[in-house]
Amino acid sequence: MEETRVVNATWDISTFKFRIEGFGINNMLKKMKEAKLLGNRCHQCGTVYLPANFYCRKCHIAIHEPAEISDHGEVMSYTIGYADVRGNPLDEPRVSLMVKLDGSDTWIMGAGEDMKPEDVHIGMRVKVKWAEQRVGNLQDMESFIPE
Amino acid sequence: MRNVAIVGIGYTPVFVSKRRDVCIPEMISEAVENAFKDSGLTPADIDAVVFGNMQTFEGVNLPHLWSADYIASLGKPVMRIATGGTTGMSAFHAGYYHIASGLHDVVMVVTYEKQSEGDSQVGLMGIITPEIMAMLAAGIDVTGQKGMGAIGGGSAGGISYQASSYLHHSGAGIEHIDAIAAMERRNAAKNPYAHLKDPEATAEKIAQTPLISWPIRFGHVCPTSDGATVCILASEEKAAKLVDKAAWVWAVANCASDATTGNLIEGIITDPAEQMPAQIAARQAYERAGIEDPKKEIDYVEIYNGFAHQTLMFLERIGMCEVGEAHKLLEKGELEMSGRLPVNSSGGVVSTNAIGTSAMNRVTECALQILGRAGEHQVEKEVHKALAHGWGGLMQYVTITILADKPKKL
Amino acid sequence: MDKKVAIVGFRMKSAPDLVTTRERLTFELTRGLFDDLGIDRTAVDTTIFSTNDFLDGRTISNVFLDGPAGAYMRDESKVEMDGINALMYAVIRILSGQYSTAMVVALGLTGSQVSPYLHVEYQLSPVYDRQMRLLNELSAAAFQARSYLARYGYSEKLLDEVAAQALSNAAANPNQARKIPGASAEQVASSSPYYEPLRELHCYPPTDGGCAMLLASAERAKELTDKPVWVLGMGQSIETFYLGERDLAKSPSTAQAAQRAYEMAGIRDPKAEIDLAEISALFAHQEPLLAEALGLLEEGKAEEAYRSGDTAISGKMPLNPSGGALGGHPISATGIIRTAEAVRQLRGEAGDNQVGKAEVAVVHGQDGPCAQQNAVLVLGI
Repeated sequence: MEETRVVNATWDISTFKFRIEGFGINNMLKKMKEAKLLGNRCHQCGTVYLPANFYCRKCHIAIHEPAEISDHGEVMSYTIGYADVRGNPLDEPRVSLMVKLDGSDTWIMGAGEDMKPEDVHIGMRVKVKWAEQRVGNLQDMESFIPE
Repeated sequence: MRNVAIVGIGYTPVFVSKRRDVCIPEMISEAVENAFKDSGLTPADIDAVVFGNMQTFEGVNLPHLWSADYIASLGKPVMRIATGGTTGMSAFHAGYYHIASGLHDVVMVVTYEKQSEGDSQVGLMGIITPEIMAMLAAGIDVTGQKGMGAIGGGSAGGISYQASSYLHHSGAGIEHIDAIAAMERRNAAKNPYAHLKDPEATAEKIAQTPLISWPIRFGHVCPTSDGATVCILASEEKAAKLVDKAAWVWAVANCASDATTGNLIEGIITDPAEQMPAQIAARQAYERAGIEDPKKEIDYVEIYNGFAHQTLMFLERIGMCEVGEAHKLLEKGELEMSGRLPVNSSGGVVSTNAIGTSAMNRVTECALQILGRAGEHQVEKEVHKALAHGWGGLMQYVTITILADKPKKL
Repeated sequence: MDKKVAIVGFRMKSAPDLVTTRERLTFELTRGLFDDLGIDRTAVDTTIFSTNDFLDGRTISNVFLDGPAGAYMRDESKVEMDGINALMYAVIRILSGQYSTAMVVALGLTGSQVSPYLHVEYQLSPVYDRQMRLLNELSAAAFQARSYLARYGYSEKLLDEVAAQALSNAAANPNQARKIPGASAEQVASSSPYYEPLRELHCYPPTDGGCAMLLASAERAKELTDKPVWVLGMGQSIETFYLGERDLAKSPSTAQAAQRAYEMAGIRDPKAEIDLAEISALFAHQEPLLAEALGLLEEGKAEEAYRSGDTAISGKMPLNPSGGALGGHPISATGIIRTAEAVRQLRGEAGDNQVGKAEVAVVHGQDGPCAQQNAVLVLGI
């Protein structure tokens, strides 16, 4: 079969000026300097969102009530990484966790530290390991470590 | 509501990694031509066209415009449907409603993907590009090594969390994912339109492929394929004139959640294995089809399984077996072509994934089984009712179609 | 079509820059619509989105909108075209009997987020047009404008007059993005040249905007509103992709779409039976060109029609009394915003833009370079 010409093209996404929701993450980042987690609660159904969400997905109303969330929680799911996004093998396996922090109805993801891959399991209790020098960005939470 | 029948199916001659001999509209036209051959219809018989593919993947916006001349659509209404991975079935549903509404009698549904002409990884990451940019600004480490929001999972991403949660709650092990992947690769070897085929596949062989991120291995993951699928639908009156035997649509349903896995900005993450939309859509579909006990009444199932564990997981979610039962059915051989509940005898999405066609192929494969035209991958039992499942969006959208061998009593 | 499906309510918003996110805009429009109608999200049986991934800069761009639109754990789909097609799908779904209500949510943030012209750039064939680097949305439109003017021997002044009428109408309309009070033909003629013969004010402006609209079956519509506006007919058609194979001075696909819509609505003499038209004319020349294809203007008589005031708000055949797409073109939402504007007219709620008799309206939406694909709705009370 005769091959056709290959035409190279790129999709230049740099021309976009995205406006991104800042309601939840901005409030959370501010509080993280104090090693605290701030979400919000739906005043109608009580669902607690972390990071805060500007509306309740169940009630479809705007919500504003702040809710402080514990930095302890439970592993709801996990994965052990063996390859990077391009499929290249990693030097050592990497633990990533989905955690439901006490008091929140939503989960967050983060790296797991001080735990052997074979010991990680769903239902395991963990807590946030805070950075000593916190600057108000996501790196303030270094990882989850066993409780 | 009117009854709607599938009266013609056309695939591209092959589904492969790279179709270098044709451009996108040319490739699509092969499937269109085959659907005309299959149905005996001509372009003049078509009242309207529905068109779908995974938006953005090949860098062409609204590709039905470019393809208009190649899909027998000139002078006809053409509707472009795009819902991500489910696009193929969402387009099929749109074709169904075009006829059920009474506005059209014969509708052609065209779906395709030519993934070799784009970067599918970039396309998929594009779902959350702005959020990733924002998370970078907020200090996230996208390599997933440390910090909150570390997505992890490598190229399998959020899917690994889904598989992990599924295993935990079902009691299945990674060996079951290996086994279902092997079964589907063997099935694919009997399907001329499948991409990754291995007649000798075994769980042990799959288990030798490297782990990407627990519990997902390379052997559990779908390929990226080039291919197109076309399906022609007709009203009951038209179908009676056109064909002796047709596959009939008994129900269509869909449901969306708002899972934002991997997204700290909107921040709503819950169990990616719960798949509540699958439960809701299946329930709706059974109700619409008048099915009281799907376990007894459905003879054949096609599951949209970009990753092998999803065959087992979704069988449970759509109520084809109890939670924790799917891997036991697999162990007993009941999911095989010769089994009591044959699943994905086509090889599933895990063997062939030209994304825009993937959810549509679940429907056309169910139709072929009902019509007894699946050739080497025809299942042993008689198929009277079959269920096709589609999964997409950002892991949060599910479509269901139920087909049967006779028209539904209205 | 008998009175089977009605538009029962809508919320719309446009501005050069809405200073908002897609999620917030979706939430505000849908929450507002539900509050207007006194319903909650469970009253919506299905939601049809109309957004464009190339303009949103993301894949499957509606996934984040499900929650804000109230579609969490509910039925939804997406038509990636101009919003008028999403509305048609909503009508089709209701006619099937499966759904008694359907909401359309259409968004385009092409004022603040991205250059709107990118949209057509990516529609062009990657193996030919993009390599030639001659075509883009504006140059294609200029080809069309030139061939339209040449066919009937119109002067370029016609473009200025069309634009001036649309811009004056837009200035009076609180829903429009581009506001140039007292816009004159001279002002249009002195705006920056883009591609000859098109100047800035002949072309649609970059616009942020969106619209949420609820449709319902006849039975359900009566419970939801005292002022239903009925979808009486609809049609759509497409023509060949390559501009070189098309007669750019005409729009046969619009004529076909209109014929289908008129037949369904039982309209035999559109000039006599239709009271106003909301046309998605993205460039000044497209308004008379498409109005001819819609059977609303006599071919070759556009100059007389505009100069005599026939096409004005107070005229015999008001074209775009809202100001049309020259007042705002939030891509993906434009056709549905035209529909909402026609609904305002038919309900007698169009304020300064209100035409005299408004019982039957025709609405048009388009996709593709030089309006390759066109859709037409007939609405009535």
